[in-house]
Amino acid sequence: MRWLILGPEIYFLAVAAVFLILSMTRPNGRRDFSAALFLAGLGVAVTLATVRLEGSLVYGAYRVDLFSQVFKGLLSMGFFLVVCLCSSLNGIEEARHSEFYLLLATCTLGMMLLVSSVELLTLYVSLELASYSLYALVPLRSGGQQMEAGIKYFLIGIATSALMLFGMASLFAATQTTLIVELALKLPGLLNTPMAFIGLLLTLCGFFFKLALFPFHVWAPSVYQGAANQVTAFLATATKVTAMAMLARLVSMGNGNTSLAHVLIALAIISMTYGNLVALVQKDFKRLLAYSAVAHAGYSLIGILSMNPTGYAATVFYALAYLAMTFICFWVVVKVASDGRDLAIVQLAGLHRRSPLLAMALMVGVFSLGGIPPTIGFTGKFLVFTAAMQRGYFLLVLIAMINVAVSLYYYIQVVRAAFLLEPDEELPAIHLSAPATILTVVMVVVIVVGGIFPRYLFQLAEAAAQALL
Amino acid sequence: MNVELANFPYLSAILLSCVVGLLVILFIPRERETLVKGVSLVFSGIALALSIYVYCAYDRAHGGLQFVEKLSWVEPLGIHYFNGADGFNLPLILLTGIVHFTGVLTMWELRGRVKEFFAFAFVLVLGVFGFFMSMDLFFLFVWYDVSLFPMYPLIAIWGTTRKEYGALKLFLYLLAGSALVLPGIVYLAVASGLHTFDIVALMQPGALTPGQQRFAFVLFYLGFGILAGVWPFHSWSPVGHVAAPTSVSMIHAGVLMKVGAFGILRVAIFLCPIGWQYWAPVMAVLATIGIVYGIFVGLRQTDLKYVVAYSSVSHMGIVGLGLSTVTAEGLNGAVFQMFAHGTMTALLFSSLGYIYDKTHTKLIPDLGGMSRVMPVASGYFIVAALAAMGVPGFASFWAEVTVFISALKVYPALGSLAICALVLSALYMLRVVQRTFYGPRNERYAHLPDVSFSLGLPRMILVATMVLFGLFPRLMLDLIQTAVIPFMGGLPR
Repeated sequence: MRWLILGPEIYFLAVAAVFLILSMTRPNGRRDFSAALFLAGLGVAVTLATVRLEGSLVYGAYRVDLFSQVFKGLLSMGFFLVVCLCSSLNGIEEARHSEFYLLLATCTLGMMLLVSSVELLTLYVSLELASYSLYALVPLRSGGQQMEAGIKYFLIGIATSALMLFGMASLFAATQTTLIVELALKLPGLLNTPMAFIGLLLTLCGFFFKLALFPFHVWAPSVYQGAANQVTAFLATATKVTAMAMLARLVSMGNGNTSLAHVLIALAIISMTYGNLVALVQKDFKRLLAYSAVAHAGYSLIGILSMNPTGYAATVFYALAYLAMTFICFWVVVKVASDGRDLAIVQLAGLHRRSPLLAMALMVGVFSLGGIPPTIGFTGKFLVFTAAMQRGYFLLVLIAMINVAVSLYYYIQVVRAAFLLEPDEELPAIHLSAPATILTVVMVVVIVVGGIFPRYLFQLAEAAAQALL
Repeated sequence: MNVELANFPYLSAILLSCVVGLLVILFIPRERETLVKGVSLVFSGIALALSIYVYCAYDRAHGGLQFVEKLSWVEPLGIHYFNGADGFNLPLILLTGIVHFTGVLTMWELRGRVKEFFAFAFVLVLGVFGFFMSMDLFFLFVWYDVSLFPMYPLIAIWGTTRKEYGALKLFLYLLAGSALVLPGIVYLAVASGLHTFDIVALMQPGALTPGQQRFAFVLFYLGFGILAGVWPFHSWSPVGHVAAPTSVSMIHAGVLMKVGAFGILRVAIFLCPIGWQYWAPVMAVLATIGIVYGIFVGLRQTDLKYVVAYSSVSHMGIVGLGLSTVTAEGLNGAVFQMFAHGTMTALLFSSLGYIYDKTHTKLIPDLGGMSRVMPVASGYFIVAALAAMGVPGFASFWAEVTVFISALKVYPALGSLAICALVLSALYMLRVVQRTFYGPRNERYAHLPDVSFSLGLPRMILVATMVLFGLFPRLMLDLIQTAVIPFMGGLPR
């Protein structure tokens, strides 16, 4: 019975197996999509059923607690939402569809293992399972810049993996343990030694890469643009959420070390400023979202570097908010660019007539990314800033807010394209199927209601953050 | 969860009427334009009726915060849904009700994307109402931003002259203001050690040290000052006013700029009174520059809407001057001036909007002799212009007199400078009126119809309001006094 707490992991392993078998049969896109949608929906149910379970496996190397289960829930939802985007998977050859779902499932599995890993080697192995799936997913698109994107992602990915391994080795050398529980006891006393400090920082690099934090962001623009829209959506939602979770877990070992906080503050400030400034001049919507992700990496790091209970709770909340609002932007990308091409911002022109609902969804999503109340994105930022203020980082909050004001310029350009610009030639209306309409409305409602009534979500985030400490 | 509700939550009902109006409009098919307008009228009417009721039902003998609605929202963070009415915000709630209702009537002839227009207008007004009645800093900020973001589409889609530029400039300026306000409110909640956003709790003497107050005051003064059109952060406002469609200009100049001034009052002055006393001379200088600058730039304008827009800058300077005196009369006059300027400027934009709709020009040299073409429409503008000059008999007269008397006592030099400038402003308003409405008639517009009764209705309501409070200023001054006296009495000296 104690293996039951591994329910979500076992389930997603089974999903991967199903698609492995399907990939050996005759290609059939519709069948693969229906199967994936059903299995993903069931996966959300299975994962949510195990949210309250707790336990520890493999000599304390693998821990199931509320923190890990909340993130597994988010991951399963991310998987489900990305599968929802695949109803017309035009960017990828039909013969590859089952492989696409297979890799998506193994990547989700890897990330689920990751959020429960509390031992450095387990953590590394899980991370590589997720990463290698992504390395294969990125160049899966047919035609275009996907090879450049794939190679960039792979090379930078393995380079940061090497850094991370080196960091872990240093940590082990400094503390003679790989268990996070013991590291958390020994590290605070050792962090003033260069070996432990650099070891911890380099270990964090692996997740900075996933989060696209400066200076590990260089892959983001070309990969966001080069990969298929659905893959980018997965990269932009699920992997970011995981990276936030793991950074929170690793930084919490430092236990309020000020020099660590200072390094992270510097990275956060550079990341958000750089991301926002470069995003100002972008013409491609996915590229714009890539730079906006660099900026958001900076914002989310503020919660983590505050290293207090509010900060970790804010990070959990921010991860959830980020998942919802980024997804809705990609949902619009996939629906407008239904043939699987890239989407320039000006190609959103006339969206308010082609599909008023999508235009409204885009406005809500983009304003949420920009942090305008009453959206979940605003509440996330507010919580993060409150946490930083509790530590007395007034200047950091001020700089972050100025960044928010700067970022609104490019977010408003997206809204402008959707509501104000008229296309050169008359484009047909975009018809959403009934389930697609429902999903759009649900996501809009989640973003707005999560902004107006954050109470229960925040309590959940607080409880999850408790498990971390 | 502590629940504290008045017998009937009138204030929330005002907000709810906006929300329901918005939702109903969203479910009406976009072709049914008249229905959309009708629904807007009904729900803005309900909001107006409720705000009149609240204004009249407020117990002046008792004073203090009434119609209190308090719900704990997010306990661990000290966020409450906390509404209340006092002598400071009641005039502004009433003003919002009047301006929105007359704005809907003014836009009755709107064509093109009607549904979206009225939906965005409801979001805007919802934010403004919420801002005025909220007594919790978190909600205050949320309402503030809710009222800002619809401005972008409202101006950029339905506006006129350089609309996209105006909309973007306004949007970015105002959000830059909110970038200062948000760190400020979080700072107050954390630095006070109370970990609450409740304004009443944070107002307790000693909650914040003098140093903290002096620091936070600057953040709020700059942040809200941008929205209040304080010189030198005013430059978004003429551009935005001119670009906006008529009813949006009305709401914008009439109400939204008051959101900024009221933010200075409710947050900066209430919570940081020591900071207020410390920075008051700076405020006075900036306000006087605003008054003089607005008048002199206005003198050079040939576009009627720019004339009105710059007069707004100088009139908001009077509000700022009143706030900077740190006296009871000054505060009283400033709040009254917010109300008076709101109705007056709404009328100016409203009557101007009609002339522009018909002639498609708002350049003074192109018009001329309009009083013979459309005597009634011209009449409304002239009445509003007289009010803007501060002619006795209108609400703005009392407001300006109150402010200037207290300003002369506290800052004799600045006060006399502002008064001299104001005499000049009368000159330029008269010049505008003379060139636009008298003189030779422009034959191109001779055939145009005058304003009909139904379209004249919103202007009549505004004129009636101005005259009512002009003849009986104590209807409002006494109410404001109930809030000013206890506040000034509790001020640390």
